[in-house]
Amino acid sequence: MRQNNMVAMILAGGRGSRLLDLTKKVAKPAVHYGGKYRIIDFPLSNCANSGINVVGVLTQYESVLLNSYVAKDEYWGLDAKDSGVFVLPPREKDTGLGWYRGTADAITQNLDFLDQMEAEYVLILSGDHIYKMDYSKMLACHKANNADATIAVLEVPMKEASRFGIMNTDADDVIVEFEEKPAKPKSNLASMGIYIFDYKTLRKYLLADEKTEQSNHDFGKDIIPAFLNDGKKLMAYRFKGYWKDVGTIDSLWEANMDLLDPNNSLQLMDSKWKIFTEDVGGAPQFIGDEAVVNKSIITQGCIVEGTVKNSVLFTGVKVEKGATVVDSVIMTDSVIRSGATVTRAIVGEDVEVLEDAVVGDKESAEIVLAAKKKVK
Amino acid sequence: MCDALGIINFEGNSIDLNEMTQFRPLSAVSILGRYRVIDFVLSNMTNSGIDHIQVYIKNKPRSLIEHLGTGRHYNINSKQGKLHILYGEEEVTSSIYNTDIAQFMQNMQYIEESDEEYVVMAPSYMIYRADYNEILEEHIKSNADISVLYKAVDDAKDEYWACDTLTMDRDHRISEIVKNNGKFKNRNISLEAYILSKKLFIELVKKAAKTSSIFWFKDILAESCDELVIKGVSLRGYLGCINYLGGYYKVNMELKNYEIAKELFKDDWPIHTKTNDSAPTYFSEDAKVQGSVIANGCVIEGEVINSVIGRNVKIKKGSIVKNSIILPEAYIGNDVNLDTAIVDKHAVVNKVKGLKGDNPKLPVYVKRRDNI
Repeated sequence: MRQNNMVAMILAGGRGSRLLDLTKKVAKPAVHYGGKYRIIDFPLSNCANSGINVVGVLTQYESVLLNSYVAKDEYWGLDAKDSGVFVLPPREKDTGLGWYRGTADAITQNLDFLDQMEAEYVLILSGDHIYKMDYSKMLACHKANNADATIAVLEVPMKEASRFGIMNTDADDVIVEFEEKPAKPKSNLASMGIYIFDYKTLRKYLLADEKTEQSNHDFGKDIIPAFLNDGKKLMAYRFKGYWKDVGTIDSLWEANMDLLDPNNSLQLMDSKWKIFTEDVGGAPQFIGDEAVVNKSIITQGCIVEGTVKNSVLFTGVKVEKGATVVDSVIMTDSVIRSGATVTRAIVGEDVEVLEDAVVGDKESAEIVLAAKKKVK
Repeated sequence: MCDALGIINFEGNSIDLNEMTQFRPLSAVSILGRYRVIDFVLSNMTNSGIDHIQVYIKNKPRSLIEHLGTGRHYNINSKQGKLHILYGEEEVTSSIYNTDIAQFMQNMQYIEESDEEYVVMAPSYMIYRADYNEILEEHIKSNADISVLYKAVDDAKDEYWACDTLTMDRDHRISEIVKNNGKFKNRNISLEAYILSKKLFIELVKKAAKTSSIFWFKDILAESCDELVIKGVSLRGYLGCINYLGGYYKVNMELKNYEIAKELFKDDWPIHTKTNDSAPTYFSEDAKVQGSVIANGCVIEGEVINSVIGRNVKIKKGSIVKNSIILPEAYIGNDVNLDTAIVDKHAVVNKVKGLKGDNPKLPVYVKRRDNI
């Protein structure tokens, strides 16, 4: 059922190089999170739950896995006749091969797609943020204020504000100024990288930006300032709730640990706003006779015969008898052999932690990443 | 591809899970937390390359139709394959007339229309893993008119009540099929899985209908041992038989043990089911879980020992669930003590703080959507 004429465009081309080996062969949006998800399941499920029918996903870095994953639009229920998830990697054009030079350029190069979809509004999203948000409410706010663009903002602690793109607003939440990582922030409203534009207006600005030589072709650096310069109406849309940009091994670990707090605000169990993901076959979850399991998240296909505390186990993980996993994240299909101990670590996908191996350390400041095929 | 039409028929009237099957056909009963009974036979068929499958429903079709849907989640090709859900549309005056033969007769055109040369027919209440394509190839090579899957068991005194037992000669030719009366330990239990040409299948169905209007397919088979060459094919792996509430309990309790379950759950033999996008299960600080199978979407705050916990079940703090089966969406409140119990879907156990079944053959049963 076609519900509105807003087309979502998810920027999913980035590597996320601070995730080290986790993003060696897959782009950051395809990184696993929360036991059974990939990060991009969050914006995609938000779209599905917000009644958006058409989603374009702009991929670039190591895109084979990501392209084939998001193309399965039935995972998110976006497979009705008039909906779909469209994979939009860079393509060869009569002007040559068009690598995406920036966030705005990625959209500019797909204006033909947006034209074809008869978009009235365009929603720009990041493929690597974890949160739940009803974009239809944001669109309602955009329309009610007759805005040219609406930007979702999050209140961050003032002392951290200098790490973000900060929106300075008037009393009605109309944006008067945008500062990228200001040394002396005037407000604590951080841009979440979520924008709604009137498509016609955006189209004009993108075409102009394309011709500007010194532009970075970036929404934050170029497009938003250009809108402000021309006196366009930009609204701030305040978001409250869980939001996390998992840029580093530490923050990815933290985001997983956040789920172990029974009062965490992401509420993955909420049946009214489910996060949809790949439907994997395989066995149920077996907990052995001598297992110890507490304060943990464990999913289908896991076999636990050892001790698992304060940890997140992904699909198909095995923890053998006598193995101990504490304060850790074990990704899909990895095996922790008997006698091994994993503490304050992320164990990547398909990794075998060999017998009696010791990974990580209770006292370490940083989280250890174990991503080799075999870990001694 | 396997050149056989798959037919999943329903079980005979001797098979009864009491109140559990008041609400749904046996094939739609939840098993091992996240499956329905029919998933095992249906996955056997699709994994064997059978892409055209008819499922017959005796009565109360709602939950089974909802579960099967288009069959896409069973890996049935959406263009070349087909999952056909069929049931007798004629009213029957008494349940004894509601036989598989009556339904095959009513739906004969759909059987005749199919292109396949052979038929693989099996009920859903027998739980095992078998490659029907391999068995069909053997069947074609052999001189048998019909191949029947069986398992040699040594507990026929206690289990498999009223199941068909086979008497065979040295070449596995079946000379007699009689019901298990529990007198002997060692019996060859028929899995009621039959492989035969479609032509013969249709002949037998028509003959059965003429012989008696309350005949089942197994009855005409038992009468044909002399005329036809009917051969037994032995199943070596695990067999579970859900023919009464105690059998249902036993199968769940056996399969929660990974060493047994791994005979059914192979990487190259997935058991398909309809999934619900439930979040992973959360175990709280106070949780204690051992020897159990847990589905997704659960919140476990209490103690779970030797039990099977279905999807989206909540077990609150202070509760102890032992040797029990909790079906999807049930709620176990604080400080509840359950032992040898089956709690059906959406039931709430909160006010009553203790329930204990007498023995594994008679687990205490809490009804679907009941609030105790």
